Amino acid sequence: MKNVRVWFKKDDECRYISHLDLNRVMIRAIVKSRLPVWHTEGFNVHPYITFALPLSLGFRGEKETMDMRILDDNFKLDTIKEELNKCLPHGLTVFDVTEPVSKPGAINSAKFKLRLSSDDISAKELYIKLTELLDKDEILVEKKTKKGVKNINIKEYFTDAKHYDTDNEVVVRVVLPAGSTTNINPTLLIKALSDYSGVEVYYDITRVDVFDAEGRPFE
Amino acid sequence: MINKKLEKILLKVQKPGKYVGGELNAVIKNKDEVDVRFAFCFPDTYEIGMSHLGMKILYSQFNSKPYIWCERVFAPWIDMEEQMIKNDIPLYALESKDPVSEFDFIGFTLQYELSYTNVLNMLKLSNVPLKSLDRKELKNIVVAGGPCACNPEPIAEFVDIFFIGDGEEVDLEVIELFRECKKNGKSKDEFLLLASQIKGVYVPALYDVAYNEDGTIKSFVPKYEEVPKKIEKRVMMDMDNSYYPDNFVVPNVEIVHDRAVEEIFRGCIRGCRFCQAGFLYRPVREKSIDCINEQCRTLCKNTGYDEISLSSLSSSDYSQIVPLLTKLSEWSTCDNVSLSLPSLRVDGFTEDILSKIKSVRKSGLTFAPEAGTQRLRDVINKNVKEDELLNTCSVAFDGGYTTVKLYFMIGLPTETMDDVKGIAELGRKVVDAFYQCENRPKGKSVKVTLSSSSFVPKPFTPFQWEPQDSIDTIHQKQAHIRENLTTKKISYNYHDADTSFMEAVFARGDRKLSAVLEKACEKGMRFDGWSDCFSLEKWLEVFNECGIDPHFYANRHRSFDEILPWDHIDYSVTKEFLISECKKAYENTTTPHCREKCSNCGAMKHKGGVCFEKRQSMV
Repeated sequence: MKNVRVWFKKDDECRYISHLDLNRVMIRAIVKSRLPVWHTEGFNVHPYITFALPLSLGFRGEKETMDMRILDDNFKLDTIKEELNKCLPHGLTVFDVTEPVSKPGAINSAKFKLRLSSDDISAKELYIKLTELLDKDEILVEKKTKKGVKNINIKEYFTDAKHYDTDNEVVVRVVLPAGSTTNINPTLLIKALSDYSGVEVYYDITRVDVFDAEGRPFE
Repeated sequence: MINKKLEKILLKVQKPGKYVGGELNAVIKNKDEVDVRFAFCFPDTYEIGMSHLGMKILYSQFNSKPYIWCERVFAPWIDMEEQMIKNDIPLYALESKDPVSEFDFIGFTLQYELSYTNVLNMLKLSNVPLKSLDRKELKNIVVAGGPCACNPEPIAEFVDIFFIGDGEEVDLEVIELFRECKKNGKSKDEFLLLASQIKGVYVPALYDVAYNEDGTIKSFVPKYEEVPKKIEKRVMMDMDNSYYPDNFVVPNVEIVHDRAVEEIFRGCIRGCRFCQAGFLYRPVREKSIDCINEQCRTLCKNTGYDEISLSSLSSSDYSQIVPLLTKLSEWSTCDNVSLSLPSLRVDGFTEDILSKIKSVRKSGLTFAPEAGTQRLRDVINKNVKEDELLNTCSVAFDGGYTTVKLYFMIGLPTETMDDVKGIAELGRKVVDAFYQCENRPKGKSVKVTLSSSSFVPKPFTPFQWEPQDSIDTIHQKQAHIRENLTTKKISYNYHDADTSFMEAVFARGDRKLSAVLEKACEKGMRFDGWSDCFSLEKWLEVFNECGIDPHFYANRHRSFDEILPWDHIDYSVTKEFLISECKKAYENTTTPHCREKCSNCGAMKHKGGVCFEKRQSMV
């Protein structure tokens, strides 16, 4: 038996399914593929899978991972990729299967690409508003936690954010804390921008990559 | 692809995955390469509609024809509806995301009377005229089938064509006719007239109705000679060779019944007198064990589901249920596929069956005695005896179960307060049975849940002439049960009497109700099957504004010689049989089920199924 890490993209229709739904979809794909995957041995037997880091509903993910155990040590990794892709819905695509290097819990930060637009103001105007917001000493925004709503300052997380505008949108690239200890959801910036500009901001967010505590790519 | 406009609203609604399609096995075709586009509309949410077997069968079957592209449409939940209206996005089909108004056919399945407002609302959201006569061209043909099509009259003004009975053949015949008519440049009227001559097709616009002064029907006649006076239902007699899908669209988001479904037979041998399905789907037609086995294997292979539900109106009545389960478990166990049997009868619950169905979890069991006393169970022909129920519960308790749910109906014909009290008493007897079980789970308490719904008299049942109890009476009966509960081990819950009242109105309504539905739609009413949206007050207001008395439909005792709004529809069960069954009910007399003795209901004319099985008494 060996551990394998399945790398996949979550996009198109599948960006609209929740983490729980993703779990179900993956399990069904594994069952359908008939790959020799280790199953749990409890009352409700099912393939054993672990996702390194859940992705928020609505986000696109370019480097998502799912770990599972293959019963046959000599099983070809490429076959896993091919067979799973035959069984996945449109929007979920396996692009690589590797033997894991990093521990699933090693993820510490993630890189996001945010594409922002508004029906009310032009991309140029939105760009200006965002620049003003990012230049402030403090960016306060409401964050919902399990304990309730609290105001947090997200300024420190966005000091290295890069942003530029195109004809119809504003693009932001930023690396944010992500993982088991701290998590900063990029929609907090959207919320702060909506509050600051007073217009409705549409967003299209992609999680482009994930890193460990030393800033090395998660492998 | 999901367009920008849609993208903008999807993140503002709950469970956006319901509105994007793209599921495994969803059928994508090139619209320029098909002759007919069919929008299969389920007038309820995605989670409910995607669980529905009839839609899966017809979706796959239509799409198996290269010249048809059938797509799915569901009613958007109120948050999505609001966004769609605000952003000027008309109702669209999930596969192509094209507006419903571009389709040749707009088909609805009618499962529940309170979904009628959703049918109208979906047409409205599609910007398609509601009324048949306002849709003049040969496009957007609105068709409807399913159990509620047995009394099509309340929605007759909105629907062009109703399919009566099993849809597998008649739907395709009509689609084929449409294809011909479109090719030859025929008008919608010409098409409808030709369609009306296909067996199982009802075109309401081709009939004239006249009413008596008291509001009952005086006459119901076809407008033209070639239009049939009676519309006979279509029946698939050879179930093994009927179309059955080899795969299902597998949803990405969780739905109500998220599993493979195998239909093991159609119809029911029992003849419970309140049950419409038991009469509509006669005669009972079974699939063979080999056919079921093969279809189950294929479905699991193609979907990745690890659970199969063996579906029918009463699955333990499958003539060879134990051999079937044995055959299936030959492979299902090693593939980790679990089997489930919905609609288990009290008398079908044997240890033999139990040992093979894993998915009956230890958490709870559900039975439906329907009435609290033997007398009333005889009236409704439920044919379940109290000691059978108590024995079954004992078997379950011995096997480690500690919770039992019992379903009842209140407001049944001839019901007295003693019958109602019997419901509470039966609950107590089940509790007693638990403590008499020597092998009961030690240290645990028993939990019995009594649940009551209100009886809704339905067309094509022996009770189709019966009045429904008034809402006040139902409330009194609910209170009476509660007063008679003596222990906390029994809990009691009940369905809302208000919705049952509206159900009763539309179940036996006539064409005059079209005006009511139109007004309700105008006022923005929909999702009336959901307590979030239903409001009796609003409904009464609509009836009042239309000058129509809802009690005329729900609470009036009809005479046997009254012309009923659905009398022109023929489901093979004769009116004489229904009358004799009704009279037997008044005499507390039961009728044996189809395998015991033929009761000559009329379904034998289809020359097959249970009517021609060898009966044990004959061997």
